[in-house]
Amino acid sequence: MSDLQKGFQQFDCSILEQALREESPELIAALEQHATNCESCRTELNIWREISAAALAMHKEWESPALWPQIENSLQTEMARPRGWRTWFADLNLVPKMRWQVALATLVFVAASGMGAWFLMHRNVSTPTNDAHLLTDQAVQQVEQAQKTYEQSIDKLAKLAEPKLNAASTPLLKNYREKLDLLDSAISECRTNLEKNQANAYLRSELLSFYQEKQQTLEQVLREE
Amino acid sequence: MPRLDDPAAESLRVEARAEDARLSAGCRAGSIEAYEELYRAQSTRMKSIAMNLLGNAHDAEDVVQETFLKIHRGIRYFKGQSAFSTWTYRILVNCCYDMRRKKTRRMETAEQDLVAEDQTFDSPAPMHDHPLRMALEKCVQQLTPYLRSVFLLYEVEGFKHAEIGLMLGISEMASKNALYQAKRKLRELLSQQAGSGQMAASQS
Repeated sequence: MSDLQKGFQQFDCSILEQALREESPELIAALEQHATNCESCRTELNIWREISAAALAMHKEWESPALWPQIENSLQTEMARPRGWRTWFADLNLVPKMRWQVALATLVFVAASGMGAWFLMHRNVSTPTNDAHLLTDQAVQQVEQAQKTYEQSIDKLAKLAEPKLNAASTPLLKNYREKLDLLDSAISECRTNLEKNQANAYLRSELLSFYQEKQQTLEQVLREE
Repeated sequence: MPRLDDPAAESLRVEARAEDARLSAGCRAGSIEAYEELYRAQSTRMKSIAMNLLGNAHDAEDVVQETFLKIHRGIRYFKGQSAFSTWTYRILVNCCYDMRRKKTRRMETAEQDLVAEDQTFDSPAPMHDHPLRMALEKCVQQLTPYLRSVFLLYEVEGFKHAEIGLMLGISEMASKNALYQAKRKLRELLSQQAGSGQMAASQS
């Protein structure tokens, strides 16, 4: 005889609650057995069963011949209605589970766009030097700061797109992956050149355009189903 | 209860899953016939749940209609995480909650209407009556919406805890727990009613 079975034989009133809560067949069988000799548990069990029996009678059935025609009409009206912008927007969510990721991607997109705009506005800062292509130390510092934040935002976007790219099964996603690889090597080359000549505004704008291209590609990847 | 390894029960389950998939695909494709089939299969239970949650047949029918519209609007998001029918009941229960909220707001602004509505409480006759039914119906209305839903879905409509869990977005254990709480509360309310009934009888 198992310990569990022994336990059931020694059922005492204190586990009545557990038996009624869990409603496991073993516990209920033990409770029934115990109730034959215990009046309070028998009463409790009977009340419990009376409630269940009375509940069955709460099921209601009635004829409603007009209901289906009404539903059919409203469904047909709904199907004939052109889809509003809300529906199209809702379609972008695609999978409900992805909603937070889409929200995060949007946030990153807004931050990246802001940084990009700031970067663009400051890239043509006129310098006191005669050479328009060269930046001052202070301007370089500002641009590098903005660039760093922009890079971080794009890195976040890249992390979000990474699982999709790793599992790329469609030709389109594979193309995106190749394009991103090319962009990464172009960015890396551009950054190496910039390290040699940090004040070169032309190289900075090149780098920015690569980042912008990467940002757009990542967004396209995230939108891809 | 069929055992898990019972081949007959397993084949029934497979059949039910295939039927479910066929019906959801039909609804997704916008087939009115599929919606009608769903209506024929589920509307009786849907109306009963709505009736018990809302208290009158008219609101119950409105909610069932609203549920079908919401099924149509949301079918593209149904990815088969649960049985299609379970998903439709989840929508139904949410529609009932919405309707109750709207009614509560209306009642707060027009308390006179509340009295009138209580007087015109129209309840279709039950299929099989039970001496406790009327008392129980009154007590069920005093439960919290959460406990009431679990009690109605399990005891009245015969859903399993796993299904209720999916419908209400709770775990199976939470559903069992809520059922126990609901029945304990009902037991308490019923004994209070019985006590006050005896008191009234002795006073007269």
